[in-house]
Amino acid sequence: MRPDFLKGVRFTDLTWAGAGPFGTKVFSDFGAEVLKIESMTRPDSVRTAGPFKDGVVGTNRSGYFASRNTGKKSVALNLKTEEARRIVIDLIAQSDVVTNNFGPGAMERLGLGYETLREIKPDLIYLSMPMYGQDGPRANLLGVGMTISAVTSIMWHTAYGPNDPVGPGTHYPDHAANPYHAAFAVLAALTHRRKTGRGMKIDLSQVESTANFVGPALVETSATGEEIPQVGNRSRTDAPHNIFAARGDDDWVAISVAGDAHWQALARAMNRADLLDDAALASASGRLAALERVEAAVAQWTRERDAAETVAALRALGVPAAVVARSSELVQHDPQLAARGYWQHVQHPEVGPVLLSSPPFTIDGERVELDRPPLFGEHTQQVLHDLLGMSAQDVAGLEASGVLS
Amino acid sequence: MEQPYSGVTILDLTHDLGRYAGRLFADLGAQVIRIEPPGGLADRRAAQEEAPPGAAPAAYEFEFLNASKLSRVIDTATQAGRTAFASLLAESQVVLLERDGPLFDELEWVKSLASAVVVTSVSPFGRSGPWADAPSSDLVLQAAGGIAWLSGRLDGPPLRLPGSQATMITGVYAAVATAVALHDTLASGRGHVVDVSAQECIAHSLQNSIQVFDFEDRISMRGGEGTRDCSEDMFACKDGLIFLAAPRTLGVSWNALVQWMRDAGHPSAEELSAGRWSDRTWRMTGEAKRAFRATLESFTKDYTKEQLTEEGIRRKVVLGPVSTVRDVFDDPQLLHRQYFQTVTPAQGAHPLKFPGAPYRLSEPVWRVAAAAPLGHPEQSR
Repeated sequence: MRPDFLKGVRFTDLTWAGAGPFGTKVFSDFGAEVLKIESMTRPDSVRTAGPFKDGVVGTNRSGYFASRNTGKKSVALNLKTEEARRIVIDLIAQSDVVTNNFGPGAMERLGLGYETLREIKPDLIYLSMPMYGQDGPRANLLGVGMTISAVTSIMWHTAYGPNDPVGPGTHYPDHAANPYHAAFAVLAALTHRRKTGRGMKIDLSQVESTANFVGPALVETSATGEEIPQVGNRSRTDAPHNIFAARGDDDWVAISVAGDAHWQALARAMNRADLLDDAALASASGRLAALERVEAAVAQWTRERDAAETVAALRALGVPAAVVARSSELVQHDPQLAARGYWQHVQHPEVGPVLLSSPPFTIDGERVELDRPPLFGEHTQQVLHDLLGMSAQDVAGLEASGVLS
Repeated sequence: MEQPYSGVTILDLTHDLGRYAGRLFADLGAQVIRIEPPGGLADRRAAQEEAPPGAAPAAYEFEFLNASKLSRVIDTATQAGRTAFASLLAESQVVLLERDGPLFDELEWVKSLASAVVVTSVSPFGRSGPWADAPSSDLVLQAAGGIAWLSGRLDGPPLRLPGSQATMITGVYAAVATAVALHDTLASGRGHVVDVSAQECIAHSLQNSIQVFDFEDRISMRGGEGTRDCSEDMFACKDGLIFLAAPRTLGVSWNALVQWMRDAGHPSAEELSAGRWSDRTWRMTGEAKRAFRATLESFTKDYTKEQLTEEGIRRKVVLGPVSTVRDVFDDPQLLHRQYFQTVTPAQGAHPLKFPGAPYRLSEPVWRVAAAAPLGHPEQSR
């Protein structure tokens, strides 16, 4: 399906890099018109970061960009020019939502502060998502997604064990907490506007947003005063609960025992009557006390089998288990994702088919079909003509003076 | 005060992966009613058990994920309960279902009760497909969704993210999917059925690793060997760890770092000015990582996290403290912004500190209240 749920909603979207565009993509995927304002004088870092089709660098060849910008329109505007800033304001006057993820004060310096724009468009919805919020002693701290993991405790607790932190391998907050909290807030603001006629300013501090993803840990620590333990793949309540090496090159299997029934099933699958009969291991606390012995027994069993074989055996007995999937496994071999039609190929004029994740849900039994990402500046002429009434000659003049670069 | 979702009623039958979705709506004004069997849904029952020593008391997760929600006891296994549910649903706009919870296996019946309702189902692997009934857990979902693969050291196993991230990721995606569908339902009167898969939500959150495989036929690896710059890591300082990012693609950060060492008269400035540090490919090697760590830490060892952070802000070096959970409560920025909220659980316990709103709205329409006790359909906010 190509849903029209948000048809009639227009964004002037100044977000760039990862978190901002991933959030506004929700809207273009559901039928909103998202005008992505971009310039090659300061290109979107995911256009330049790659990966590139066949490893060949090019403005329109980045897979990262493609995955964050489906269904948007690209309008090339060099905001360093006065003329471009005037055009952006004219576009905003005809938009419902304006979005940015610049640092504090950047929008004001461009003449695009909330108070200014509200005079032009009183019911505007205005989303800013700087890393640490608009004001305060660390508002100007520069960071990337991993910095957000660091200051919210996610980095410290992504650990193999006590005092052995590793940190997430990705800029994790950019890919779930921040884009999706942002999208939820904008949807709420649209709902609010429909009832009240009033717009809203949304100040999303990416640190404050991400701290909600560690909410239970914060609440627990506030109550106990104690730092929660770094448990990694293990569990505080039962064992075995870990990622174990499987037969093969860098193959791994996740097994999580929660409760005595799981343990008994696992011991049977391993054909270990001795463990099954061992009273010391009959309870969770006993298994945790004998962690090394329990894990060694499981590791010995898993390393002699393919991960998929272990998973099949345990799933059949009701024990949670999964292959630790790498990208190729997900794309080529995962029967669940395949059966649900999760992967989509979208045709792109410059790089051919692009593999994309569907939105991770079906609606009315169907997948949301994605439209391809835009080429740089692909829709500039169309948008300037259709929304601002500019002629081809006007546009050519702007082009010649570098406004559309 | 009118809130964005005031006037919207949500019947919430989730007990794990779907809970955060209802929480987000409830804080913005929706009347979110947990529909619980006698004794409560599974998460409430777990929260009421005494946790074994060392375990995470389930009560804290319960309080956080069910804050601002109400509760009604309806036994949907009885005819009277089904009648009560049906009449509640007639006045509701959204139903949230979760696998292994009440009514998940009765989707057709739920749909038949009302036409202009969004029915969102949350489950580990989705309602369809060969794994629809497969047992799961946070660890298993992080493995099956592909995110565990991406963390850890190359010489160790893959590593999951902490603190039930499968629940958080799934919850926020389920909230957005429900909100989009509701936007349409409120306008058009068309109902919708949303089927959220936790595995898919996680697979949707893998940075660029799907595209790296599709476009360059490479598998993104944990540890960042060959992909991550030597400067993008945690480094030791006087009282803990900092996270730094100063790859050559962030030239301002790198140059400011080297200048800082120079201003301090530290020999590291000389070393990092050598030609090899301009070689972006070499900088991703194990050799560069070891050399950079030794050089940088010889400088940072004399400073605290706080000192490094303050100077980093002044000099535009991309760095920040690696905080423990306790440190987060002392974060000067969060304190300045009066971020934390105090929530007193309904049943006589001490006040708890909650993280504040994930977004600040210019109208005062966000508020949090304690989770209602079992069977309390009203709440004093």
